[in-house]
Amino acid sequence: MSLLLGVVCVPPAVRATDADVAVAWEHLGRHLANDALGALQKSGAPDSREAALAEAVVRIDLQPVTDAGLRKVEAQLSELARGRDEIAAAAAYLTGRLYQVHFFTPDPVRAAQIYAQLADKSPASFWAQLGLVKLMLLRLYVLPEAGDPAARVAAAGALLPRVTQPELQRDALIVLGRGRLFHGQPVAGVLADLLAADRIGGLTGLRRVELQLQIAELSRREKLWEQARVYFERYLAENEVDGRMATVKAKLAEIAAAQRAEGPSS
Amino acid sequence: MRRGKFRLMLAVFAAGYLVALWWVFTRSAPLVSARPVTIRFAHWQIEKGPPDGIRAVIRRYEELNPRVKVEQVEVPGPVYRQWVRTNLTGGTATDLMEFAYWLQGMNDVPVRYFEPLTAAMSETNPYNRGTPMEKVPWRQTFADGLYEMISQSPEIGQVYGATLSQGSSRLFCNRELLKKITGSAAPPVTLADFRTLCAQVDDYARRTGVVLRPLAGSYSNAQWLADFVMFGTLTGMSLELDREGYLARWPWQAQSDYLLGRWNYRRPEVKAGFAMLREFTQQMRPGFSQLSRDDALQEFVRGAALFIYSGTYDATSLKRLAPFPVQAMRLPQPTKDDPVVGPYVVGPYKDGYLGTSFELYLNKHSPHKAEALDFLRFLTSVEGGQLFMDHSGWLSSVRGVKVPPEMEIYRGSMDGHSAGPQYMGVGPYSTMAFWQHLNLLVGPQGSVDKFVEALENGMRKQVTEDARVQIRTDLEAIRAVDTEIAAMNALNRLQAPDPARALRQHALASNQTVAEINEGQAAWVLQRHGYRQP
Repeated sequence: MSLLLGVVCVPPAVRATDADVAVAWEHLGRHLANDALGALQKSGAPDSREAALAEAVVRIDLQPVTDAGLRKVEAQLSELARGRDEIAAAAAYLTGRLYQVHFFTPDPVRAAQIYAQLADKSPASFWAQLGLVKLMLLRLYVLPEAGDPAARVAAAGALLPRVTQPELQRDALIVLGRGRLFHGQPVAGVLADLLAADRIGGLTGLRRVELQLQIAELSRREKLWEQARVYFERYLAENEVDGRMATVKAKLAEIAAAQRAEGPSS
Repeated sequence: MRRGKFRLMLAVFAAGYLVALWWVFTRSAPLVSARPVTIRFAHWQIEKGPPDGIRAVIRRYEELNPRVKVEQVEVPGPVYRQWVRTNLTGGTATDLMEFAYWLQGMNDVPVRYFEPLTAAMSETNPYNRGTPMEKVPWRQTFADGLYEMISQSPEIGQVYGATLSQGSSRLFCNRELLKKITGSAAPPVTLADFRTLCAQVDDYARRTGVVLRPLAGSYSNAQWLADFVMFGTLTGMSLELDREGYLARWPWQAQSDYLLGRWNYRRPEVKAGFAMLREFTQQMRPGFSQLSRDDALQEFVRGAALFIYSGTYDATSLKRLAPFPVQAMRLPQPTKDDPVVGPYVVGPYKDGYLGTSFELYLNKHSPHKAEALDFLRFLTSVEGGQLFMDHSGWLSSVRGVKVPPEMEIYRGSMDGHSAGPQYMGVGPYSTMAFWQHLNLLVGPQGSVDKFVEALENGMRKQVTEDARVQIRTDLEAIRAVDTEIAAMNALNRLQAPDPARALRQHALASNQTVAEINEGQAAWVLQRHGYRQP
């Protein structure tokens, strides 16, 4: 009887529901870390993988951010990363980000290892694909063993075929194209990457303007007049207020003059 | 005697009581507002004009919305940065506040404290009903489509605020004095005309014995003049340095360019720009660099200077304070035949600001977010913009507002090159060094060479510090995006798929990656070229 009474009297375990976790993520999306934590703790300690991931991310954003606090987050994320679901992939990616940009003393080598392992484990996941883009950045600019500029570009380029989600493939192409340019590689390769990125599309605002202008101006410098003209004109058609319009019009006049000078075959 | 004293006291008491009654019923604010919601709006535009314009908008808004009271909080510019930081951190900030991307050391503020308005900006503004802007998304109702604000956003692509005004730097002229000196009120058309006019002013002052200078002078006015001169002279250099093909150069790129030895202050076009700056500042009174913007304004309104080169934000103050008609005009630009900078001029250049400004942000922690957003919509509607402009004398940022002909000249022009910074410093440390040494250029014993040598001595260290600051602030913004990407992804997992949210997740990832390209390249330059680690 007393056992039965005990069972009856024990309050049911309080679970942070998916709705609570969703509220927490809504707050996190607006950097309201304290509100997000409040939403998670309203129903007690996190008791699902969803809630645990949300709490770890809250603590990345919660002020004051300390290295010791981030180490605790890393432990939480490492635990979550052991699974094989989307949460595990997100946790592994975020662990990589901790090592790449969040810890006060970054460890790019460790970050690169984590991204590579994630890409092997869950290659199709958004997080693994995004991790590959970040790994390209590390190979291009940060990792000590990546070698001379040409070797760096080659090492980053080797990752490109593994990035298959269109938006991330586009970003990877931009990373690679700009990396080639920065490291003094031939412009033809740069243009090939940027044109491929443009074919995927989906960029808006300033990113789109930058891509259009970069393709146009690099084409002009390579004397690819028609390609330059098309992209400069596309820029003019799509932008009403950008400060570079007068310069673009001057470039178009130069292109027209060059085409006239070279004759109809240009 | 005693009775007389008593009567006097009684009379004083009665008079005091009557004055108190009159005060309570006619002047004082009620102890408890009759309106259930009070929103507060802080800004630093306390020149003559803007507070009047905002008051007019508030009056009309309160007529339309009897539930809401709006209070304007005017904070002086010199303390604004500290005021914002303290109040945001302490949770006592106003519901709406002015902010700007260029406020030093405040890069983290929008993401942490302001509510993104991206979604609201894609909807129409209900206060534009019955106007040509009725069916236009709110963002596109601004003269620049908020392009400038978005391009400077710490979270690229995200809209964090709305703008109220637009303006430019212009030459303001004392027309009566101009006519007295030259016999004509015609403004100078070319830079050669302007130089001739300056000589005529000096001659007039000598002949008549009056204290008169061609340009009113202060540190700030010299800064704006320097912007004008250096921007035009160095457009060609910016385009030459543009290896990436953006047709522009940003200060963070100019930092790397400097550290890689691609430019320095000894380049001939930079020295030519400095020579012209020296020539222009010599038209100001000696010691101008110790004077404030207010000193220059007073110098102009008391007729001791023919022109003042200032922002159009001073136009209302000038017109209200000057006892003579003031005319705004463009300062003529140097051309290819200019004897000082001609060889480096690539053509006409941007004259004025293309973007809109006076940026207003919504406090993420405001208890009255809906009402504050509603007021912001009214403030930046066609009606609100018109009221603001008519009562402030500042150009409205809103399309569809009727601009009087005399204010058309305040608008920036789109018909010139706009390719880069002015190179008067490329970050906080180098900029400070530039202005600290300026006396070596503009002082009586100054010269271009003295100034350049002083600048170059130590500039590498300053630019290195600038690059480190830039990388640090970029990383802060980059880190903040990780949380948002995780949040968008989780919400798409937990809730019904939302294409807009998925789009946002990819836009965030894309923008963050591009920011990391820039940061990676800047860090590479520091690490691989013998500078200190970031």
